[in-house]
Amino acid sequence: MENHKSLPKLKDKHIMIAVDESENAKAALLFVAGFIGGFRGFRATILSIIAAPNRDLFASDGERQKWIADKRESLLIVLERYRQILIQAGFPKTKVRTELVVSDDRPVSSVILEKQREIRSCALVVGRRGISKPEEFLFGSVSNALIHSANNCSVWIIEPTCGIE
Amino acid sequence: MMTKIADGRDVGHTQQSLRDLASQWIEPSRIPKKFRIITDTSEFIRVDYDDIVILDNSPFLIRHNQKEGRFGMDDQPKFWVKSAIDLSDGSKKIIKLVFHERFEARIGDLFFDCIRSPLKEARILDLVREHVNFMQGYPVKDTASNIVRVIDFIPGQTMADYASADGIKHEEYFTTSFPAILKEYIETVQAILFLHRHNEIHGDIRRDHLLRDATSNRLRWIDFDFAHGPNENKFVHDLFGLGNILMYIAGGRDITMQVLQDEMPHIRSAITEDDFNIIFHNRIANLRKVFPYIPEALNRIFLHFSMGTTVYYDNTEELLDDLIRAADAVHGA
Repeated sequence: MENHKSLPKLKDKHIMIAVDESENAKAALLFVAGFIGGFRGFRATILSIIAAPNRDLFASDGERQKWIADKRESLLIVLERYRQILIQAGFPKTKVRTELVVSDDRPVSSVILEKQREIRSCALVVGRRGISKPEEFLFGSVSNALIHSANNCSVWIIEPTCGIE
Repeated sequence: MMTKIADGRDVGHTQQSLRDLASQWIEPSRIPKKFRIITDTSEFIRVDYDDIVILDNSPFLIRHNQKEGRFGMDDQPKFWVKSAIDLSDGSKKIIKLVFHERFEARIGDLFFDCIRSPLKEARILDLVREHVNFMQGYPVKDTASNIVRVIDFIPGQTMADYASADGIKHEEYFTTSFPAILKEYIETVQAILFLHRHNEIHGDIRRDHLLRDATSNRLRWIDFDFAHGPNENKFVHDLFGLGNILMYIAGGRDITMQVLQDEMPHIRSAITEDDFNIIFHNRIANLRKVFPYIPEALNRIFLHFSMGTTVYYDNTEELLDDLIRAADAVHGA
């Protein structure tokens, strides 16, 4: 008879979902919930970035700190709501965590990738904004930057219109 | 007796000493009997002609508000930017007072958050001290801690004025004037690269923010107080501005569909959507279709700013490398 106790314990596959307050981010979260929620062997980190404008955009440091605090407050609510969605979709409570990071004048994509490396997630999930070419040119595309720069990690770009019901 | 201001502080000058200083630089008949002395510039709109603004003990005699006009619009007065005479040496200055203007800027059809940041401009002024391709000046705090910028006046034309093919055939402009203009332009791109390497951006790169200093005969970037909201690539606005100036100087003006319609209607049908500027949809980026003698290496740079592009410049080094190669082709053409 096979001795199960001697088998090495399987490590969870760690998936990271980067979200903001947009509908596209929500679609990405719902995709993960619908796609792998309820399966064993997964853990998830829901990450949100506060893309804080640099000091130049504010009349004072205090004004900037207030902007960050307000943003933090609203994003914490979003993160908790998304955590609950994953739990309801079947992720064990202990295997869903949230994280909020201030980007401090750095590209959002580089902060996401830094966090991905830190937690060693094997997949990274973001929503697709569906921006126009001129918008992509002038403001940049986080998902494009992730595709180009991610190493040792799969990147899932979720089309908002093809979420799992 | 020293003149005291509203809060009782001495300003280090008397009315008589200020009149004596002013009389060295302007006609006595034009000196007012009594100067209004300002040390707190918060209400910049009230700082007026013949007032004296004292900054760190240095007196500046205020002249006119500066104006800025563009795209055929009448010049708009900028009430927070004053021309002035530095009474200590008679030099002409531009005094930029603090105006935390926050607005939605527009480029083509796209909008983004923008603010005038005295802090940013002050920091860059310190960074570019003695740099021949930037306006020169220094930041100084007034008595209300406003960061005022005292800028050396630059006599000369804007790039918009002097890089123009007005009145001559484009091919003649392109072969005679453009090579030298391109060389000077490359120097200004190197200057922007200097900023970017220090993690700073100009923020409002356009052809009327590039002045040809008549004293030094060098091009100088002016007005770097614009700051933008977060962006995946903070340098991209500067790169786009550099691309637009390049296409302007190569064309000797903006080459629009209207220009083609009026002057080269036979070319119009050859222009496709991909040939237009990626943001300004009435301007043509693929200029080689209009002027076939433009070297391909140069036109390839333009195409990075066209609707048809699939590759963008990520940084100024990439643009500069291509420019240097293209300049060889232009000089060899």
